[in-house]
Amino acid sequence: MSNSPLEPHYDVVWPLGRKAATGAVAAPRVADLNGKVICELWDEIFRGESIYPLVRKHITERYPGAKFIPHTEFGDFFGPRDRAVLATIPDKLRAHRVDAAIVGIGA
Amino acid sequence: MVEKLGIPTVSIIGSGFVKQAQVVIKGLGVPLAVGVYPGAPMVDSDAELAAKVEKNLAPELVAGLTRDLARPAAPARADSEPARGQIVFSGNFDEVQDYFHEQLWSDGLPVVPPTRERVHAFLEYTDRSADDVFLIAPPEGREASIYSIAVNGVMAGCRPEYMPVLIAIVEAMCDPNFRLEDAGSTPGWEPMVVVSGTIIKELNLNYGQGVMRAGRQANTSIGRFMRMYLRNVCGYRIPPGAGDKGSIGQNFIVALAEDEDSAAQLGWSTFGEDCGFAQGENAVTVQSVVCISPPLYSAGDTALGHVQQFTDILSRVFAYGCYSGIKRGFWTPLIIVGPGIAQVIAREWSKDKVKTYLWENMTIPASLMKHFCWQTAATTIDFSKLVEEGTLPERYAASDDPDRPIPMIVQPDHIGLVVAGDPERNQSRGYMSNNTQGSRTSRRVVLPKRWPELLARHKSH
Repeated sequence: MSNSPLEPHYDVVWPLGRKAATGAVAAPRVADLNGKVICELWDEIFRGESIYPLVRKHITERYPGAKFIPHTEFGDFFGPRDRAVLATIPDKLRAHRVDAAIVGIGA
Repeated sequence: MVEKLGIPTVSIIGSGFVKQAQVVIKGLGVPLAVGVYPGAPMVDSDAELAAKVEKNLAPELVAGLTRDLARPAAPARADSEPARGQIVFSGNFDEVQDYFHEQLWSDGLPVVPPTRERVHAFLEYTDRSADDVFLIAPPEGREASIYSIAVNGVMAGCRPEYMPVLIAIVEAMCDPNFRLEDAGSTPGWEPMVVVSGTIIKELNLNYGQGVMRAGRQANTSIGRFMRMYLRNVCGYRIPPGAGDKGSIGQNFIVALAEDEDSAAQLGWSTFGEDCGFAQGENAVTVQSVVCISPPLYSAGDTALGHVQQFTDILSRVFAYGCYSGIKRGFWTPLIIVGPGIAQVIAREWSKDKVKTYLWENMTIPASLMKHFCWQTAATTIDFSKLVEEGTLPERYAASDDPDRPIPMIVQPDHIGLVVAGDPERNQSRGYMSNNTQGSRTSRRVVLPKRWPELLARHKSH
């Protein structure tokens, strides 16, 4: 590495862009899942057909009153019609009066 | 999206994606609860999977829905970050390199120090405001601005006169069709740009022998710029950074320029014309590349002989990866056809006939495609359902024979043919997109009003 005083110095600018995130607050959590409606959103990959039933069983054992809306009600949000599927999800969540959501699977 | 509707949400992710999730959380500025599956479910037995769900994943999902999130939302502005154009470091060449490496603002090669003077020289080559923003780019949620294009163009070793091309590339990558949000996916695809129009010669882009080899300044630095932009401005960084989850990845791809003179002599349309532009109009077309074929050597003096050779090789090379494009009803193979080969083919066949032949004859057994699909993501592909919902043409559900040949390419016009390369050798090459991620997207290159004057100045240097 050269440290010659004759070597030019460079004043360099920041190469990134401004962050534009508008901070948001998390939705209030549900202390007790009994009597609550939980939706499952699945991208139809990475063994969700095995994982979601196991998760459902785990939750039901602890919160017997929890009700589940299966992923088939919402469609594949990572498939060929992903953007169309995503656009329908808010209305479907309202229609099912969903209280909480599980989304997956990123692996 | 769901959390913003006021519904508590928890996401299932593999443990290898925790850092990427953190980048997304910061970028969106939305708190996100996660349940982590240790490892990858695709390689676990049923018993291992059940144990991991019960012991690790499910309790975290319950906690994510029932316990308040400790992680605060990102601030509206990262006030601690520098402003646009702010000097962030002063030092000699080596010190600048070290600083940029430490900050993860480099691709590992030496960068040209982005001084204000150099950035200003780039900004002269556009009539747009330096503050114009194309997109809040995922995953870090930063502004993809004209200024950031200039800075990263400097760093990548571009010349100022490349700026209109760099702007068009970023504009194309910011189009929703391109799906910039998927540029950090595990296949590790790279963006590839095809430059069309008179600007090819004005910028001295190579379109002949060695066209895809590093060595010509315009091709190389423009290709390098794309990866640097994804890394610096979007935030797709490999470790010790995060955001880029390309499991193995590949190097940046130098910019491709078409041999438009040869295409015109053959009576073929140029690739730019195929993408909707006028002959000679300056444009860029960007698409993902996840797989590159070996050299396609082909011999003989008939069109069929050469196109059959393309078919024979590409239907093997692309056999594995095409399932993901079929599943989404779209992927775009691109073939660089050597000018000498194109000359033989064009004597008998139009470009459309070449595409139709490839579309009809590049096939794979349905059972093998399903096998490849399962191996990658532990899922299947339901051809009948995809036909029923209009994603695939009827042809895909014409038979129930599990070993029936399935077309590898959904539509003939998804194939791109670019004449370029060594005119004195019988070689071509194929490039495969990563399904709809990095979908082929074009933009016109907009030159500044003073372009002739600026170009004359650059030529006099």
